[in-house]
Amino acid sequence: MIKEKNIKLIFLSLSLLLIILIFFFPFFWIITSSFKSPEEIIATSTTIIPRSFTLEHYNKILFNSDFFIYLKNSLIVSFSSMIISIILSVSAAYGLHKLKFYGNKFVEYSLLVTYAFPGVILLVPIYLLFAKVNLLNSYFALIIVNVLFATPFAVWMLKAFFKLIPNEIEEAAYIDGASRYIVISRIIVPLAAPGIASVAIFCFIISWTEYLFASILISGDDLKTLPVGLAGIVGQYQIDWGFLLSGAVLASLPVILLFVFIGKYFVSGLTEGAVK
Amino acid sequence: MKKNNIEGWLFVSPLVIWISLIILVPIYIAFELSLFNVKIIGTSGKFVGIDNYIKLFGKSKFVNASLNSFYWIIGNAICQTFFAFTIALTINYKFPGKKIMANWIILSFIIPTVVVVVIWKLMLSSSSGVINSVLIDIGLLDEATGFFSSPNKAFISLVLINSWRWSPFLALIILSGLNSINREMYDASKVDGANFVQQFLYITFPNLKSVLFVLGLVGTLLSFNIFDIIWLITKGGPSSATTTLPLLIYETAFTKFRISQAATLSIVTSFLLLLFSIIFIKSMAPKEDD
Repeated sequence: MIKEKNIKLIFLSLSLLLIILIFFFPFFWIITSSFKSPEEIIATSTTIIPRSFTLEHYNKILFNSDFFIYLKNSLIVSFSSMIISIILSVSAAYGLHKLKFYGNKFVEYSLLVTYAFPGVILLVPIYLLFAKVNLLNSYFALIIVNVLFATPFAVWMLKAFFKLIPNEIEEAAYIDGASRYIVISRIIVPLAAPGIASVAIFCFIISWTEYLFASILISGDDLKTLPVGLAGIVGQYQIDWGFLLSGAVLASLPVILLFVFIGKYFVSGLTEGAVK
Repeated sequence: MKKNNIEGWLFVSPLVIWISLIILVPIYIAFELSLFNVKIIGTSGKFVGIDNYIKLFGKSKFVNASLNSFYWIIGNAICQTFFAFTIALTINYKFPGKKIMANWIILSFIIPTVVVVVIWKLMLSSSSGVINSVLIDIGLLDEATGFFSSPNKAFISLVLINSWRWSPFLALIILSGLNSINREMYDASKVDGANFVQQFLYITFPNLKSVLFVLGLVGTLLSFNIFDIIWLITKGGPSSATTTLPLLIYETAFTKFRISQAATLSIVTSFLLLLFSIIFIKSMAPKEDD
């Protein structure tokens, strides 16, 4: 018995160490590097503790680049995509898991199968379609695509939360004469709030990180999103690492901030929603 | 619960209509394009029937990209399963800082892919990367190596980077499955003398079936479709070693300007993925008892 416990402890510490090294150290590294002098960033001998400290990269990206334009675009696109995704997926999840109708299993699986079509496969025809209906170079073009990619999984995430709400509560409300609208807004939505919060953050992340469509559907500089702006620097022959790193840190900041406030709902939404 | 047909459809229809419009109309456009010979976007081409399809299967580029996509899916599945289970089983134990780790392990998933690219381009840089200098310091390497310079190294590096991004997210979903397993089953098996390998094989794994089903399906489709990480790091090189089907489609459409060929590739690829999904669902879908 004691022996097995020791083996477990060794395994646990080893895997903890590995996880910290692999999944957390890189963040420490780019954040500290973004404050290093240009010479230290590209120096061949590296030390874990930074030797220099400068704010010049942040100065440059905040006051001498289009950062705030890209930030505004990313925020507009991500928030709109998130709100539309929530409305559509909550409504669909309610229909699928609370009402039960003929064909609901088919719809449930078909939604997951939409992931057979995303990305590049749809890129060319969506580009042509949007060109025809004059949607190229608009926020709405990106919102349409983001909602498409976020909602199928969002509906699946909501399933666990909706199943946890006992049908009796709803039925009791109907007996008291409540309308469907009252039941949804006063009972279902508040009870599924943690689920809706985790869906919200998932949709925001999907939209915030989207690169491919944003790079093709938007050509005007004034409408570009942060990932596309950053990728422009990555693609340069002589990379200005300091500039790029401070941009990368700043582009991650909004999602990280969002995560500080509602991240625990996302994680518990994923982990405690007792998937059946 | 009684069935509620009309209202049920009413609630799902906004999403169903949104998704079908944005998938079916483009698929129709792609199919139409694949029967013509259009080169640059916006120009018209002449009708060639199924010529594009016949030519496609003889092309070594197509065969090469399909094989790369196949290896990509397998490589990612192995790496991500390993990382995700390691993370999930570790976080499932009690240790100080567990809550913080469970909340923030997902950091690599919530940052933009472009930032993932920036992180690893810097860490793996051949001239000043920290990984190279650590490997030299501990004696595993004699001199700095280019992690993206040879076909094999580039492919493996990309698989690892992509797994780094996705594993924590998958780990949390696996964790949800772990949490739903009745603790008493472990206690009972301990009484019967099972060790933790047996517990994993006979309790943990079978109870994760429905979670693993969705992960197997969506995970495979999602990793097939990875584009930005590969494109932004290697552009499909060196010598097409990392050109998967999505990259080939992109290249054909937006750098070679052969729209009809790209559309043909899209149709064939969608067909393959759809076939995979149907077979996967038919054979693996867990039975539900409600």
